[in-house]
Amino acid sequence: MPPEPAASGYYALSNLVAVANALECRGVTVRYDNVVALRDVSIALEPGRIHAILGQNGAGKTTFARVLAGIVRPAEGSVLVDGREITTGNVLEARRAGIELVHQSFALPPSFTVAEAMEFGSEKYGQWPFSRKTLRSRWQPYLRALQIDVDANAVIGDLPVETQQAVEIARALVTSASVLILDEPTAVLAPGNVKALFSRLRALRDTGVTVILILHKIREVLAIAETVSVLRAGRLVEGPTPAAATTTRALADAIVGSKDSGATGFGTDDLAALTGVGPAPVPAVEIIRAPEQRETLLTLSGVVTQSDDEGVGLSGVDLRIHAKEIVGVAGVEGNGQKALVRALAGLVHLSAGRIRLAERDVTSSSLLARRAAGLRVIPFERNVEGLSLSSPLWENWSAPRLLLDGFAFINPTRLRNRCDAALRHWDVRFASTSQRAGSLSGGNAQKVILSREIDDDARFVIAAQPTRGLDIGASAFVWRALRAIRDRGHAVLLISSDLDELFDISDRIVVIASGHIVAEFQPPYRLSEIGAAMTGAST
Amino acid sequence: MTDFLIAVLVAGTPLVYVAMAGMLAQRTGVWNLGLEGLMVIGACASVVGTKMTDSVALGVLLAAAMCVVASIFLWVAVEVLKANPIIAGLGLTGLGLGGTRLAVQTLYGSEAAVQVERGLPHLDPALGPFSALSIFAIFMPILVAALWVATRRTRFGLRLAAVGEHPFAARSVGASPARYRLVALVLGGILCALGGAELALGSLRFFSANMTAGRGYMAFSAVIFGAANPIGVAAAALFFSAVEVTGVKAQLTLAGAIPQNLILALPYIATVFGLWLSGRTGRRTRVSLAELRDY
Amino acid sequence: MKGSVQAILKPLTYIALAISLTAISFQLIGYSSPLLAKSILEGAVGSPDAITNSVRWALPLLVTSLGVVVAFRSGFFNVGAQGQFYAGAIAVAFVVYPLEGLPPAIMTPAAVCAGIAGGALWALCPAILRLTYGTDEVITTLMGNFIAALALIEVTTGVLKDPAGTGQSSSTRPIDAVYRWSDATGVSTTLILVATVCVVVVWILLNRTSFGVLAGLAGRNPTMLVWQGATEWRLGCAAFLVSGGMAGLAGAMEVLGPNGQLISDFLPTDGFTAILIALVGGLSVPGSLIASLFFGGLAAATLYLPIMAGLPSSAVDVINAVIAILITARAWPKGFERLLMFMSPAHD
Repeated sequence: MPPEPAASGYYALSNLVAVANALECRGVTVRYDNVVALRDVSIALEPGRIHAILGQNGAGKTTFARVLAGIVRPAEGSVLVDGREITTGNVLEARRAGIELVHQSFALPPSFTVAEAMEFGSEKYGQWPFSRKTLRSRWQPYLRALQIDVDANAVIGDLPVETQQAVEIARALVTSASVLILDEPTAVLAPGNVKALFSRLRALRDTGVTVILILHKIREVLAIAETVSVLRAGRLVEGPTPAAATTTRALADAIVGSKDSGATGFGTDDLAALTGVGPAPVPAVEIIRAPEQRETLLTLSGVVTQSDDEGVGLSGVDLRIHAKEIVGVAGVEGNGQKALVRALAGLVHLSAGRIRLAERDVTSSSLLARRAAGLRVIPFERNVEGLSLSSPLWENWSAPRLLLDGFAFINPTRLRNRCDAALRHWDVRFASTSQRAGSLSGGNAQKVILSREIDDDARFVIAAQPTRGLDIGASAFVWRALRAIRDRGHAVLLISSDLDELFDISDRIVVIASGHIVAEFQPPYRLSEIGAAMTGAST
Repeated sequence: MTDFLIAVLVAGTPLVYVAMAGMLAQRTGVWNLGLEGLMVIGACASVVGTKMTDSVALGVLLAAAMCVVASIFLWVAVEVLKANPIIAGLGLTGLGLGGTRLAVQTLYGSEAAVQVERGLPHLDPALGPFSALSIFAIFMPILVAALWVATRRTRFGLRLAAVGEHPFAARSVGASPARYRLVALVLGGILCALGGAELALGSLRFFSANMTAGRGYMAFSAVIFGAANPIGVAAAALFFSAVEVTGVKAQLTLAGAIPQNLILALPYIATVFGLWLSGRTGRRTRVSLAELRDY
Repeated sequence: MKGSVQAILKPLTYIALAISLTAISFQLIGYSSPLLAKSILEGAVGSPDAITNSVRWALPLLVTSLGVVVAFRSGFFNVGAQGQFYAGAIAVAFVVYPLEGLPPAIMTPAAVCAGIAGGALWALCPAILRLTYGTDEVITTLMGNFIAALALIEVTTGVLKDPAGTGQSSSTRPIDAVYRWSDATGVSTTLILVATVCVVVVWILLNRTSFGVLAGLAGRNPTMLVWQGATEWRLGCAAFLVSGGMAGLAGAMEVLGPNGQLISDFLPTDGFTAILIALVGGLSVPGSLIASLFFGGLAAATLYLPIMAGLPSSAVDVINAVIAILITARAWPKGFERLLMFMSPAHD
């Protein structure tokens, strides 16, 4: 328990000196169609501090950030900067008031150069035409001052993820912001780069900028934030509280809602992983494998693929997955994870190497053939690769069966009934199998995908970011399902950028960097080791 | 050789102007298939305006006004009412083709060609073959260069490109995609009016129904072929015109050995070929059809 | 169900809006909109002859639009129905004239095959360009319209020219009556039978086969289907060939039916109208059926207007065009309030 008196003393002092709040919301409510994303949120944030807004996926954190930045107009409520009310829903006004937002998936056109990205975000220079050289001389010193080591004429799409984020922050600061909001900045970073980001933010704070961080991992919040506020289901349930005055347990309860944390049936390990409390406790795993577990279900030998529009290719991957295990793939996004999944799925041609599924060489087999052999893929992008949002549920669900059967006459009623039964079995909340897939929540949509892919013949499941964007209940559900597959004797390959998730659920973790597997770890996992392997350097 | 080049410039100027209009729209993410309709409106209005006021300048002004109105209509349909841009564009073309026929019928009682005495000003006849070029043709390279600078070397151009490539990024710096698309479509409308005026008044001096004969679509293909880069697009448009001119010359010299209709089909075939070629090198963007169904 | 009520109400609202806009504009230009409306109704349903005429135009439009429905639902913007229609008609001419003398029992199936094949093959080129090279099919199919129109002129003024023909529009010589599918009125049991078969076949294809479901998914999210293992080639080829074939069959219907010969300028806007029908009908078979009767009536009225009422036929083209611009709108017309705020909330 951290010492209380000092914390309350600090606040008592600041109450005597009336400091205008850097940023304040009063009664902000946001509605999207019938869903209430934010409900009567009132919050006051002090200037010159690092504030954290905490909450699980779906709690409304991103919506909140966008309201502050003027991208979303609230149905009710007001936003005040330095005590002065500004017009909501107007980005230009928000920027003029000094508010800048760094987005989770960067708002940078990939074909722009770094200098062009700076220019297009700034209001400083007029409309006069510039040459490439002028642009560079304009912005390179600025980048240097921010200690970002990148050539102003580099193309953004070619930059590594952490550099893109630095460029995004630089773009946000171009108008001398007084309030910088960052939406889930740590999601794409390796642990070492998270440290670098945090020191950059502390440096900013020291120059007087108010920093607001949207996060969902308690561990990160406690490492950087001075105050913590918690959003749950669109409501502000706690805060702003000084970080020193709160506990991990209290925050976890606030995120989940204490009535849920005991009852949902996910264990303390999962809860710890979901809330990112800290290095996960060592999972109990049999070190000695029983003989039947040595069967190799999937082998990749020397697999090489070309880089293309979708990302960097594989440069020689060797990997073996056995029965009854969950293998986690850790790595900074953009290091070949997508290529790995596409290669396994048969969606990309191999320049070299072989892939074996149990005894069969499937290197030149189509996705349908691999599916027939027991391979299943849960794709990265639920809404783009996994489902057709504007199509009915039963069509989405029946797709693989229809493809396997070739051209045939169908009975839609029978298909709908089968789909209905399967979705109920998987506890999907839906009204009718004819409703559009896009009308389901993220967690339910993911369950639909699971019910479609995890059938009796699934022997090898590739799960790519399966809990991305899902709330705690849905994430726990997915993990239960993956563990069930493993316990049945099959194999799971789990690709995730969430290390807590990997630590909690994997029997083994491999690290992918620059298109090949650079390291393998057995439990107990150490954050520093894996982080180092991810960035390929000692941090 | 000079004759050939001049012929290409004469034939190509309307195409380049319209292609520039398409390029602006494309950069903001709008596939403007209404170019054909806008071009024919521009041609008709410029001729009718000249005939009514006996002033070419006023005729061109009328053309610009009508095309701007039509472009705003398209913008309302696509941005405000969220119609599918491709279908709306084809509809706009239909509106242009049908509307111009209706206008001619109403004003002159029949759908025969409308003749005028005046045309666009040309260069001094003392310059020999160069006098075939109108002022629009002379201005064309300046226009292309100006647009290149505007779209690739100004902040306005960067924001325009952001609207098309990453609308969320544009919105997050305060550049409203809806507003930029309106600007692009209105400017494009004016350019189409000029292109249509050049077609009807540049060297011909009349308007007949459907005189554009698909040029608006060729201009659209030039936009894709040139990857929405003003210089590339202009080059592509001139390439298509060169094919057309070559065909005409071939017909004159080979005197009927090749069927006339095949010659006439050459520009269309060249357009398809150009599209195929550009597809092999660049990436293609598509407008999803998901919005077409209601249930 | 709320969904399907909305589904019918939206196109109707926009058609009403389109007609109102054009009515106002026509009034401003100097035409009497009420007279226009009255003449259109007369020309469409005002007399038994008018109704016959409306059906006569509706039949080929229906068949063509069914093809468009298949293509659009599969995610392919095949706007080349006009060219595929011409190609089918030309193919029929090339079969019927040389093979004249054969019994109708052989000629008729041959003509059907020729029509379908002609249209399908004409759609094959843009299909290959799209499926193998990724070339967008909108312009390629549009160009196909222009090229086919030129080919039609070439054929009717050259190879198959009717020696007894005169002046204005060239044509081939009349086809022997024994092979015709209808007389000049254009409505006969044969034609209605052909149209009915098409309706049934396409409905079954879209609603009772795996192709229908998979093509529908592909049309809405091709990426998802790729991740399920589908090959774009198979679905795409089928979609293009079916839609081209239907347009070609409609061409056959015109040549062997009311026209009785191949003329160089028949139905210049039939392809575009068929696309409009498909959209107004919400890309469904029953919708196309109803919409084709509506637009068939409009087409009959188009020819009636100048003769009977002294109004220009291009007025109907304008109405069709405005409908086209508005029909795919997703927002309700009261979305006009958004004109006031240029910035919309962040739901992309």
